[in-house]
Amino acid sequence: MKALRRILFLLMCLASASAEATTIEMNVNGLVCAFCAQGIEKQLRKFPATSDVVVSLEQKLVAVALKDGQDIPDSELRRALTNAGYTVKSIERTQTPIADVRERLRQRKP
Amino acid sequence: MSRWFIALGGACALAGSMIVMAKPIAFAGGYTVMAEYGAGTMEEMQLFYAPRYDFSFGGGYLELNSDETTETRYVSYARLNYLVRRWNLDDAQANIYIWGGLGSATGNRFAGSVFSQNAGAQADYETRRVYASFKTDLQRSADFSHRIDTLQLGLAPYKHEYGGVATWFLVQAREYTGGIHRGAETALLVRLFKGGTWVEAGITNGGKLQAMAMFNF
Repeated sequence: MKALRRILFLLMCLASASAEATTIEMNVNGLVCAFCAQGIEKQLRKFPATSDVVVSLEQKLVAVALKDGQDIPDSELRRALTNAGYTVKSIERTQTPIADVRERLRQRKP
Repeated sequence: MSRWFIALGGACALAGSMIVMAKPIAFAGGYTVMAEYGAGTMEEMQLFYAPRYDFSFGGGYLELNSDETTETRYVSYARLNYLVRRWNLDDAQANIYIWGGLGSATGNRFAGSVFSQNAGAQADYETRRVYASFKTDLQRSADFSHRIDTLQLGLAPYKHEYGGVATWFLVQAREYTGGIHRGAETALLVRLFKGGTWVEAGITNGGKLQAMAMFNF
């Protein structure tokens, strides 16, 4: 019985962890040059919760990979992008690993 | 001085990371170093730091050699740049910048060092395929006054991506006032940039080298 409870507890923990967002994807206006991307990347890497940043000019997308169990509030993200000089259109949290986002962007390249 | 600019441009070209008109503010928390060789008439170096995305400060050095006379001017200045307005559009960005500064000038048509003032503005519009900008830059003192107006129109043969090399082909038209250069000077330029490095080089209608290098970090 105890073993069953432990297994159930572990499964619940795993389910809870997997429901956490691993990547934040933001659509950003004004992204037209490498300098824009460089400034944005610099701002977002300042967050302790950031483990990686991917920027796509083609998709107007900025993706932030989060460290395990950590998050960055939307308000902080909007402030960072505004302070970098850009306009955030939307923010979406996904469980897609950043490597998959990178691969998706690579395949969509013209 | 001229040799320094040529060497810098050459080194950048060799590094494979050549140069859009330089923006006076790159990004918040960033430094901008810029050097331009303007066809033997104008040479300029600048260093700016931007504590915010809409404001930067720093200084520069400008050397002018008149091609109408033997007049030369050397101006060292401190300057503030301000982004008045930015439009972040779906596939484009447009900006209006202004700046002002104070400095010290020497030259061979007046004695000693004189107090000088600097003011200017820039408007630009950029997509990933089209670029247009106009810049006007005034330097004046009790002994001289000149303005350099620069128009750039550019086309990119492909849409570059972050991390890759961006290539632009540009036409530049420049006019000097104050007896520096008679008539408009035009130039055809190639601009390459990657990451925080951009370099542009080309040739003027007078057959002279026009080059610029800029580093953002």
